[in-house]
Amino acid sequence: MHNLPFHSLYDWMLTTWVNKVVLGYPWSWPTLESLHFLGLCVLMGALLVMDLRLIGFQRTIPLKAVHSLMPWALAAFSINLLTGVGFFFGDPYNYAGNWSFWAKMLLVVLAGLNFLFYFFAVEPKLLRLGPNDPTPALAKVVGVLSLTFWFGVLAFGRLLPYLGTGGG
Amino acid sequence: MAFFAWLEASGLAEWVRSSSVGYPTVITLHAIGMAIMVGLCVIVDLRLLGKFDGIPYQSLQRLLPVAWVGFGINSLSGTGLFVAQATMFATDLMFIAKIVLVFLGAATAAILQPELAKAGTWPGGVPPANVRRVAIISIVFWLAAIVTGRLTAYIMIFI
Repeated sequence: MHNLPFHSLYDWMLTTWVNKVVLGYPWSWPTLESLHFLGLCVLMGALLVMDLRLIGFQRTIPLKAVHSLMPWALAAFSINLLTGVGFFFGDPYNYAGNWSFWAKMLLVVLAGLNFLFYFFAVEPKLLRLGPNDPTPALAKVVGVLSLTFWFGVLAFGRLLPYLGTGGG
Repeated sequence: MAFFAWLEASGLAEWVRSSSVGYPTVITLHAIGMAIMVGLCVIVDLRLLGKFDGIPYQSLQRLLPVAWVGFGINSLSGTGLFVAQATMFATDLMFIAKIVLVFLGAATAAILQPELAKAGTWPGGVPPANVRRVAIISIVFWLAAIVTGRLTAYIMIFI
């Protein structure tokens, strides 16, 4: 698979200390996997509460309180970004040659853009809403898209070893 | 052991093992159910320990049925994954530890759910010390369940 685009980048990754740490100890990969799963649980838990509120469930939750979940969601995402980069440095050709990985990354980007749109364009208008106020249609769309993208990320991530294993 | 061998020879076990869609579908459902159950339970635990204090306890109590849907998905998908390799899992201490921790985690959720309904009577909105203690234990059980569950794929300790 050394005809992949950016293959010189992947070759460089294989020479880095990150690669040595990820592959050099029997506990490295299982530790990264465990952290990746812990991160995904916290991220999805926070997102479920946030997005279900945006869609219109549990309207007794004030939108300011929804905002207070964001640091936890972002911290969990950061753990998964770091551990994910670790996996990629450990086995770049396996991921880069797998369409399921790129589908997952595309969904992460879409989810990120959806979040930025919510953060800058939608949330400022919502913070005036009190408890029990219905959310506008735009907020419901953001909530549905967020859950769709993130569950898609989870599914493609878990299916990665079984779909399109063209790399390696 | 004969029972686990019988499970392993069942049609469901055969399907999970050999169908090209069986195992990937079941393992993906297992990750989705985990995210829903553990994710919501950890948010509830953190709320009881004083985080995101703008979220009313009662609204989280009403979200817990969603968590139980996740648990249901995982009971079914987990049964499929178990029967596919029943004789192996039944003798693997890592798996046994994981499954015990999962049920202990679920038990803490079942204990906390009715407690959340009493939140209106908590002075200053602070849960009683025993409820906070269950919330801490709950987080520990879930963290340990995730780690041991993930490690079943890497480290087997046969008894």
